[in-house]
Amino acid sequence: MTEDACQRYLEDPEANAAHLQTCAGCRAVSAALAEKSDVEPAPIDINALPLAPWEGSSHRPWPLVLGITTVVIAVALALCDAAGLSPLHVAESSLTSMEAMRGLIDRATASLRSASIVWQIAFGVAFLIVNGLLIVLLRRSPRGMDA
Amino acid sequence: MRRAVRLFLPLTVVAATLVTAMIAAPPGFGVQAPNTMAETTAMLQKTAVIVALLAVWMIAAVTLTLLSGREIRYSSVEMRASALHCFALGLVAVTSFALTAIVFSYLIPYHVGLPLLFALGVFAILSKIYGLVAVFHAIGTLVAGSRTREQLQRRHWLRGDLAMVVIGVLVLGALRLIPIVGPIIWGFASVFGIGTALATKFGRREPWFLAYRLHLS
Repeated sequence: MTEDACQRYLEDPEANAAHLQTCAGCRAVSAALAEKSDVEPAPIDINALPLAPWEGSSHRPWPLVLGITTVVIAVALALCDAAGLSPLHVAESSLTSMEAMRGLIDRATASLRSASIVWQIAFGVAFLIVNGLLIVLLRRSPRGMDA
Repeated sequence: MRRAVRLFLPLTVVAATLVTAMIAAPPGFGVQAPNTMAETTAMLQKTAVIVALLAVWMIAAVTLTLLSGREIRYSSVEMRASALHCFALGLVAVTSFALTAIVFSYLIPYHVGLPLLFALGVFAILSKIYGLVAVFHAIGTLVAGSRTREQLQRRHWLRGDLAMVVIGVLVLGALRLIPIVGPIIWGFASVFGIGTALATKFGRREPWFLAYRLHLS
């Protein structure tokens, strides 16, 4: 047979199935492919595969979670009681640390305002460099396994 | 047995190092036992505040894991897969937050600074909360996570995102109670957390910026 007919058969075997009856070469290729497709895939041992992060992740052991949380809250309340602290005082202490941070930023801003123009430009350059570096690092796509 | 040795050997080394450091610490370093009643009360109050905040963290971690466990898990996996990148990103992000806060504070007289400063504060706090919960998950998985499928199937309680997060809070909380070292470890965990939150866009696996493609036709 002509090479064109063989080419047409290879491009679309189903539409040109009649070509097999007239061409020994294509018949041999088809038979070889059919033999290969009969090969069974190797069995996969699921237990031999590494554990995926999502396996068993939806399990919710409520007794463990509630038990530990209750114990931690009870210890916290007992310690607060022993130290003579109220929950309001704990909230105040965490707000105090935020106020300290705010004070630090205010002091830095006041220093920047009173600094010379050279220092202000240096601060601006540092600001641009750090934020540029942040953008560069943020552009990298995550590499973790599929969760 | 080997796993137990693998787990307890580093813990023993860390404990021995801490004890040695506490004994060898110069007087006035802040690790010695309290001498007066006032010092004892102050130490008790400090511990009470730390444990109370840990209880708040525990509630926040459980709530956040129930609401978006998949995102927390993804961030935790990312942290373990590329820890150095998450830490570097966290360091740069914290520096950027500080510098940006100064710039926004500088702009307060121009009326635009205050809302920007507020938005930055909210974003930073959300990053820290989400990131620390991801750190809790990562630590819990490293310490108590199942290594094989058989081990996972045998377990009834110590499996799942919620259990890992709770174990992580316990471990990091216990480390937080160590004087001097505890706050440093907590600070490192916060930097890791902020980096992980930003690296994974809060576990949503989306890019922060649109990619520009040049079309040549």
